Amino acid sequence: MSTDERVLQTTELPQRTGVEPPHSGRIPLRALRDKLVDLWLARELLRQLVGKELKVRYKNSALGFLWSLLTPALMTVVFTVIFQFVIRIAVDDFAAFFLSGYLVWQFFQNSVQGSVGAIVGNGSLIKKVYFPREVLPLSIVLSQVVHLLLALVAVSPYLIWARGWSILTHLPAILLGILLVTIFTAGVSMLLAGANVPFRDLQELIVVIFMVWFYATPIIYPVAMVTGSGNTAATVFGHVLNANPMTWFVKLFRESIYGTVVSNPACADVTTAVERCPRPFLTLAQSWPSPELLVGCTLAALAAFVVGYLAFHRFALNFAKEV
Amino acid sequence: MVLGSIRELIRSDRGRPAIVVDGLTESFRLYHERPSGLKERLYRFSKPSFTDFNALEDVSFTIEHGETVGIIGHNGSGKSTLLKVLARILPPDEGHVEINGRLASLLELGAGFHGDLSGRENIYLNGAILGLTRSEIDERFDDIVDFAGVRPFLDTAVRNYSSGMYVRLGFAIAVNVDPDVLLVDEVLSVGDAQFQARSLERMQRFQSRGKTVVIVSHDLGAIQELCDRTIVLDRGRVAFDGHAKEGVQLYAQLMGTARGDDEQPDTHQLGTGRAWIDEVQLLDGSGSPAEQIGPSTQLLLRVRFEAREPIDACSAGALVSTGSGDHLYEVHTTWQGLGVGPLLPGQSAVVDIRFTAHVLAGHYRITPMITDAVGRTQYAVLPDAVAFEVRPAPGGSGLVDMVAATSVSEGPALRLGVESPTGPLPIVRLEDLDTEGGDAAAAGGR
Repeated sequence: MSTDERVLQTTELPQRTGVEPPHSGRIPLRALRDKLVDLWLARELLRQLVGKELKVRYKNSALGFLWSLLTPALMTVVFTVIFQFVIRIAVDDFAAFFLSGYLVWQFFQNSVQGSVGAIVGNGSLIKKVYFPREVLPLSIVLSQVVHLLLALVAVSPYLIWARGWSILTHLPAILLGILLVTIFTAGVSMLLAGANVPFRDLQELIVVIFMVWFYATPIIYPVAMVTGSGNTAATVFGHVLNANPMTWFVKLFRESIYGTVVSNPACADVTTAVERCPRPFLTLAQSWPSPELLVGCTLAALAAFVVGYLAFHRFALNFAKEV
Repeated sequence: MVLGSIRELIRSDRGRPAIVVDGLTESFRLYHERPSGLKERLYRFSKPSFTDFNALEDVSFTIEHGETVGIIGHNGSGKSTLLKVLARILPPDEGHVEINGRLASLLELGAGFHGDLSGRENIYLNGAILGLTRSEIDERFDDIVDFAGVRPFLDTAVRNYSSGMYVRLGFAIAVNVDPDVLLVDEVLSVGDAQFQARSLERMQRFQSRGKTVVIVSHDLGAIQELCDRTIVLDRGRVAFDGHAKEGVQLYAQLMGTARGDDEQPDTHQLGTGRAWIDEVQLLDGSGSPAEQIGPSTQLLLRVRFEAREPIDACSAGALVSTGSGDHLYEVHTTWQGLGVGPLLPGQSAVVDIRFTAHVLAGHYRITPMITDAVGRTQYAVLPDAVAFEVRPAPGGSGLVDMVAATSVSEGPALRLGVESPTGPLPIVRLEDLDTEGGDAAAAGGR
């Protein structure tokens, strides 16, 4: 409160001076249980906020929900034109290939970029009312889940036409993938939303990070294209790709929606000269995700959520004072 | 519902007091220059560029179910911080705070409104923020709409609401939460007179149903009227905790002694700070300072104030009270059709209030104030800025000088000298000598 602050400054009552943090970062188990109960009790608020998020976004726009489809559609056209006709990435049905990775990426990016400012942007609310603060980033993530589902439904006719009906048999894997990527995204979103309160630069920094992260995730190219060549730099980049959790989630979606891209064994000795091998990659049919991939994705999702949640509550101690 | 039982299990231990605060300390970090980015953080990494300041220090108290407690203290005493900790907006830095029962706080009305959503949608959103489930909001929906009087505008975006409608809707939602513990911060002073009366009535109904209310206010009258108990905070510590009236008196005293201390006389000016009272003079008919006067003397109160922010129109007023704090008279320029303004920041104005002090022997105090044109928001209040004393004089006794004239219309009359011993010997004064002491007593004669 500005009036209070003014008085605080004139009344000189310095108590401690230094750089030590005022709180020990540990959250006792009892407090954690209370916080989870709070979150459960706030589920109606969460529902309302998701509804608000969806309503407000489209209330003043003529195209409404079409907007959430327009971006992926446009991106698909642009990337398909570039990577089919300019720089050839020789995979079957590039548009389907691209969409199967891009939709999940777009969900992740929109959620995180939307959540980063969620606490700072709702400062007036945070200073005036109590509610579990994590509902702010979580509501953004959940509203993006709605967009993701709508987008998937909208492009499904094309995907079925291009990749066959077996997409539908893999629906359970797709839904499990959405669940896992949502948990992962929620963790990252909470972490960054909280961290953005003391470190306001994060909001700008995140845009740059995501640009790099996008290219470090196999969305516009298959992993096989990187790991297939024998060259050292590519091998290093391959390790980076495999260590990137978003690679795992993209893989999880792509395997059940599009299929798996592998190097053509017939081209094994001529990979450096693409023109001599017209089909360097083969696309296998959709498959169920391997247990290792599922375990990896689950662990990544849980780890991100736990770390994000705990860090968020650590940051939350100072929200009302710092926003 | 299962949910209800979970809530009971975790929160609502009716066997415990409504509010238990134990050893609460809340500190704020005052950044000398606030680092808000990574660069600043890194740059200042080694230097301590802030001071920690305790807004609340070792505060402990217990509030039982059904109590109404007022929290008073001058600006910066920590009362708003305390309310925010009770409302769970600020987590305690040290100590322990326990609330038993459903909690609702009225710290700012309509805090969660979203301008693009309609009134109907905002009722649901705001209700959810305050912790209501959908079915609970459905039940209360009509009450909320009727109380706020916004039915014709339910499907209009609240961005287009008048500020009055906005605030009324916020209040209506908050009081309809039906909490066990209600925290209120100055919000009773919003809306028009009719709405204020309804709000007050709501609060009283609330109290009569055995709910717990904690109010922070500068309005000592309202505190005395509504509260059983007051907690006076002074520089983050509990200075008094007990009977409402005693607390208000102690607070008035605290203000008085604080004003005597020359270092920071200004910190005790109350109000939103939009205006600042620079000088207050009380003059008698000859233009000299009136400290001791006779009964029914013509006085002139001259208030010089300065606008701190642009003011379109404001009102200067004065509140006259007895030494023991009873309100005698209040006047505002706007009540007489006179406003002050527009004023630019830094521009000052001098307002003269002429009045006749129809009071008898005793000590009196005047609180000048600058308010908005309708008298809802107090820009600046300087409690008990000037005091005057009325000397005992012949002619009447009591509190008010009713300027009586006597005559004998039948029977023989006897003319006595003016300096005769028949001058007033106030009987009431004798009873009050031990409590009030000396000549301040006329005030106590009720």
